[in-house]
Amino acid sequence: MLRTFGSLRMHCQQVLKQTNKQPLTTRTCRKQSTLGGNRSDPDAARKLRSKSTLYYITAGGVLIVGFSYAAVPLYSIFCQAYSYGGTTSQGHDTEKVEHMVKVNDRVLKIRFNADIGSSMRWNFKPQQYEIKVAPGETALAFYTAKNPTDKPVVGISTYNVIPFEAGAYFNKIQCFCFEEQMLNPHEEVDMPVFFYIDPEITQDPALEYCDTITLSYTFFEAKEGLKLNFPTYAKPHAASA
Amino acid sequence: MTSQIYNQKKFIPTAPEKGSFPLDHESLCKKHFLIYASCLRRNDNDNSKCRAEAKEYLGCRMENNLMEKTEWAKLGFPEKEQPTVKEQQQ
Repeated sequence: MLRTFGSLRMHCQQVLKQTNKQPLTTRTCRKQSTLGGNRSDPDAARKLRSKSTLYYITAGGVLIVGFSYAAVPLYSIFCQAYSYGGTTSQGHDTEKVEHMVKVNDRVLKIRFNADIGSSMRWNFKPQQYEIKVAPGETALAFYTAKNPTDKPVVGISTYNVIPFEAGAYFNKIQCFCFEEQMLNPHEEVDMPVFFYIDPEITQDPALEYCDTITLSYTFFEAKEGLKLNFPTYAKPHAASA
Repeated sequence: MTSQIYNQKKFIPTAPEKGSFPLDHESLCKKHFLIYASCLRRNDNDNSKCRAEAKEYLGCRMENNLMEKTEWAKLGFPEKEQPTVKEQQQ
């Protein structure tokens, strides 16, 4: 790169010396004649055209490669906004709960799992090992958390659904996740999860043989500056009327 | 969020519809919870058999200002019996 820079500088100096030695009119004529090199005019024009086509094609190629790289994050943003192609929709349809029909012949076992972060001092466990739920029916489940320490501890939780594909059909109406919950010293509370399984799960071929879904909650201690990987659309809700 | 693009199998948690339950610090609805839990244990953890107790618990929550008051139909407790899928197909 240094070498080309140096050669470019020398070329510029040479051109400058040439232009300085001659008066203005001949300088411009000389400039025009040296544009295409020391060749005849139609040849020079053809060379120029082919050169510019080459530049256009290269630029087009670079644009296509760049666009294919940019398409990946753009598509995921599009999916999040319009829930196209199987990703979960942002807003659950509350009308759906009213009109959904219970599917009788398919009973799913929902297992509950409770975890805590390594520095979390609560005792957190589910109250029932599993619940048998039919799709289309709302269900209530409980977790219990106890603060055995002498100081109030603030916790925040996130959840996970296994198998991964079933997570799209697992709709929570109300739970205790994504919001800071404070427990006073030596306090024990029951935390309910109110959810339902979308009846459309019966039409999903990937989940045809799935009859056990595991819901796993993990509690972390909410310290100052602790940032959990929240979905951006999770907002704290005020539950009082 | 960008880390989820390259790992297609990552789970995307969704926010609950009605938000978060406030904590029942005074254990106002503990009795209803215990009734529900014992119903589940009796019926082999079958949710369909304990709907009434679940409705009681949610009612207790609503009364004590621990939950937004909503119609029962919106929570999946219809006032009259809804036809299930099998009956509809017949």
